Amino acid sequence: MRQHITFRNKSDSISVHMERRSLIVICVLFFLSLSAVIAGTSLGNTVIPPLEVIQSILKIGSGEHDFVIHTLRLPRVLVALLVGAALGVSGAILQGIIRNPLASPDIIGITGGASVAAVAFVTFLAGTVSISFMPLAAIVGAMIVSITIYLLAWKNGVTPIRLVLVGIGISAIMGAGTTFMLVMSPYFTAGKAYIWLTGSVYGSTWEDVYLILPVTAVIIPCVVILARNLNLQEFGDEVATGLGAAVQRQRLTLLAFSVLLAGVAVSIGGAIGFVGLIAPHIARKLVGRPFGSLTIVSALVGSLLVFVADWLGRTAFYPLDIPAGIFTAGVGAPFFLYLLFKNRNQL
Amino acid sequence: MFHLYASVKMKVAGFCLLLLLLTGAFVSSLIFGRTPLTFSTAMQAFLHYDAALIEHVVVLTERLPRAVIATVVGASLAVAGALMQALTRNPLASPSTFGINAGAIFFIVIAIVVFSVSSLVQLTWVAFVGAAISAVTVYSLGSMGKDGLTPVKIVLAGTAITALFVSFTQAILVLDETGLQDVMFWLAGSISGRTLDMLIPVLPYMGVAGVMSLFMGRAINLLITGDDIAKGMGQNTLLVKCMMGAIIVLLAGSSVAVVGAVGFIGLVVPHLSRAFVGNDYRLLIPFSALAGAVLLLSADVVARLLIMPTEIPIGVMTALIGGPFFVYIARKGVTKI
Amino acid sequence: MFKLGKKSLLVLASMVLLLSIITGCGTNGQAGTTTDSSKPAAENQAQGTTNTQTSEAESVRVIEHPMGKTDVKGTPKRVVTLYQGATDVVVALGVKPVGVVEAWGEKKVFDYLAADLEGVPLLGLETQPNLEEIHKLKPDLIIASKFRHEEIYNQLSAIAPTVSTEVLYDWKATLKVASQALNIEEQGNKLLADWDSRVADFKQKMGDRLPIEASIINFRADHVRIYYMGYAGTILKELGFTRPPGHDADTWGVEVTSKESIPDMNADVIFNFNYAGKDAEANKKTADDWMNHPLWKNIDAVKNNQVHQVNDIIWNIAGGYKSAHMLLDGLYDTFKLQK
Repeated sequence: MRQHITFRNKSDSISVHMERRSLIVICVLFFLSLSAVIAGTSLGNTVIPPLEVIQSILKIGSGEHDFVIHTLRLPRVLVALLVGAALGVSGAILQGIIRNPLASPDIIGITGGASVAAVAFVTFLAGTVSISFMPLAAIVGAMIVSITIYLLAWKNGVTPIRLVLVGIGISAIMGAGTTFMLVMSPYFTAGKAYIWLTGSVYGSTWEDVYLILPVTAVIIPCVVILARNLNLQEFGDEVATGLGAAVQRQRLTLLAFSVLLAGVAVSIGGAIGFVGLIAPHIARKLVGRPFGSLTIVSALVGSLLVFVADWLGRTAFYPLDIPAGIFTAGVGAPFFLYLLFKNRNQL
Repeated sequence: MFHLYASVKMKVAGFCLLLLLLTGAFVSSLIFGRTPLTFSTAMQAFLHYDAALIEHVVVLTERLPRAVIATVVGASLAVAGALMQALTRNPLASPSTFGINAGAIFFIVIAIVVFSVSSLVQLTWVAFVGAAISAVTVYSLGSMGKDGLTPVKIVLAGTAITALFVSFTQAILVLDETGLQDVMFWLAGSISGRTLDMLIPVLPYMGVAGVMSLFMGRAINLLITGDDIAKGMGQNTLLVKCMMGAIIVLLAGSSVAVVGAVGFIGLVVPHLSRAFVGNDYRLLIPFSALAGAVLLLSADVVARLLIMPTEIPIGVMTALIGGPFFVYIARKGVTKI
Repeated sequence: MFKLGKKSLLVLASMVLLLSIITGCGTNGQAGTTTDSSKPAAENQAQGTTNTQTSEAESVRVIEHPMGKTDVKGTPKRVVTLYQGATDVVVALGVKPVGVVEAWGEKKVFDYLAADLEGVPLLGLETQPNLEEIHKLKPDLIIASKFRHEEIYNQLSAIAPTVSTEVLYDWKATLKVASQALNIEEQGNKLLADWDSRVADFKQKMGDRLPIEASIINFRADHVRIYYMGYAGTILKELGFTRPPGHDADTWGVEVTSKESIPDMNADVIFNFNYAGKDAEANKKTADDWMNHPLWKNIDAVKNNQVHQVNDIIWNIAGGYKSAHMLLDGLYDTFKLQK
């Protein structure tokens, strides 16, 4: 029985190495995500039988539920899955590079940057500029803040610890900025900004799907291909450089991927917390350290996390629609403490 | 920039400068605000109080409590920060990085939203308990493991606790939007609108802790040479550490209880003070106390002047000052103190 | 060892390029929104026609509103209102909505509307109404506000023709757009005329007592709000009250925390929101504290005993037509006028 399966192209320049067990896990999770699309679309206050959902998606159904499925539920389910995938991979990259189990887009300030930009947008520009430009503002914010963090952490190279610490400091400044705007803006807008800050995929449309789908579809495979290098990095700078990987360059590329993924996810779903932290940990439990499969599994786990959170949010207190971020925080925050306790010897 | 032993001249000059600044900041706090006053009016209010004059009433009932609270809280936070940096051997330690603010605020939000606690005095005590709980949690989480306390572990533990409490707080607020505004100023921290009635219940604790801290300078100097050396010199290090912990919780907890989340004073001030008096805790503690008072007083004056008629939450002001400073230290390198 | 070489700069540059491409896509996608939005609406209308073809010939009316132009067919019978003011106005127009959002302050439905809204399903909060629930009601008109519902406007439009107002508290705009869309513009004009005649009556009966300088304040658990030109401010202005300097600024108001701001409230008359709801006790406490301050006793309205407690739902939260009348009723009582 073969333990490893290797995918490679002819020139051998790209190769993805995968354990048998990982392949099974990925298949199972992929199947689960697919069922989530069906189940998520069929479950709601009005349950639409799964068969009808499939018929409707394939456009061979009676058309009775087409509106609810195509306009309301399906885009929302897809956005939840894609946002989760983006956050999961973003977190996996950060944890890999920073070699710190507590790293995630929320902790080191990427989410903070996106939030400040988005809240500023709502506070100062809502009403004058169409709200559909908010995602753009969030992505730009995430980008600027991450570049700032990276540059500030630069001192003959970037050490993971310095990156985390600078990120935490910048996070605090961003938090102050956000609070400032929340206090300053008329109270009703503050309430709106708060829902957004918690993170929610309420009101997702196909436009959101079209925005996030290409990004995840391009970047996640790139990350998987670059994965070999990250496997080396986990040994530490010295070992990795010794093995010939141009550490800083790879690190920069991967960080940029991570920021893009997180920025796009936040721009659409708001600051859905802790997914970038938890997903890679669950993934590591399932498939271990090899980074290629870890990336894929993190994406799938992240998808399912956000999906379940959102599904609970829209059904648990029906007809109230609770932001998905509340549920991810409810699971994520205690998990964070557990991680802290578990990793007490490694920090 | 931070010498271990600064010259005597420098120390004396530093103290004199600081006393001048403190007087200046205190007076500014009395005369600047919604209704601008002159120095002589402020003095008149003390010497010949006339209840019919709006200016006199403003000085005595609003400006003075505010200035006193800023002074006491600024000093307390700065001393707490200095002690935390010594106790954890971590230059990034301070009440806010330890998650004390977030913990206290989470308990306050719970008290307001879930239990409908409304008296500010009761909330003060709730905040106090929350602060103590998160401080103890972070310290225990940070000191577990084979390396004991490492700077990074402490900061991460503090960030984790902060993230935890902040997300809980947000969850509660999203579910109950009507409560949002009523806790907003707690979240952001504010000296405005706090009365001496809120300071008085916690003042004895702050006073006792403050005085204790002044007498601990020698012991702390010995402690920071290293546990083994200190023990070798006959110090009961456990006792010293416990006392420091108690002082920190009392000072930081009471501060948060009075003004809400005001961060980074405890981080910035001890570092700046070290530049003047070196790392000698016998001087560093009183110096930090004075400098902390000056910093918070000035931040408060600026906060009330920038966007009249309303105010910038003081916590936002201090974070905007302290955040960059945190980054600066992180860049400089986190080595054990 | 880790110097940033030329290659790395190249990578960085390409990342920036990638970013611009992606964000570019983003903007394109968003730009597509506006053109797409007409399509589902059209589909929906097609459906609507098949259902109601039997009824009388219907004219299509184009309603202009802050979110664009909306075609409304005939006389809508099933209207959904997505903010408090719209619910109030639609009820005032004599139409029972088929779905409304939950009220703020008084749970679920305002007391003064409870009888009119009996059995009307709730659609969640004003901030995040439940879209599926709205769709299930098969409305033929949705009244929303740009302020709250800009993000979901396209989806709302796909469910039913949706009209909007810019802000929540401009009840005259709500009345106008609602009566137009409901094809009962005459009824709307009549309500407006009723209101105008009452305003005139109030002004006439007040006579020389006007103009009176009035300020509107609200004590909260840990801050105090001074309201400027929100719902009540606009109505007071119409009634011939004047406002203290600065209080006529085009914004809802300010939050203050320092008692130094008490002189800012100075006016001949002060309308103070009552202490209701779950924070009542805390709000009352703040009020007691502030009202004991020497500066408070210096205020004209206090000296003349002209501080009046008013219901915050009527004065602020409801934001509708009926509530405007109730506000006016209260003023008749306050100034002891014959109704």
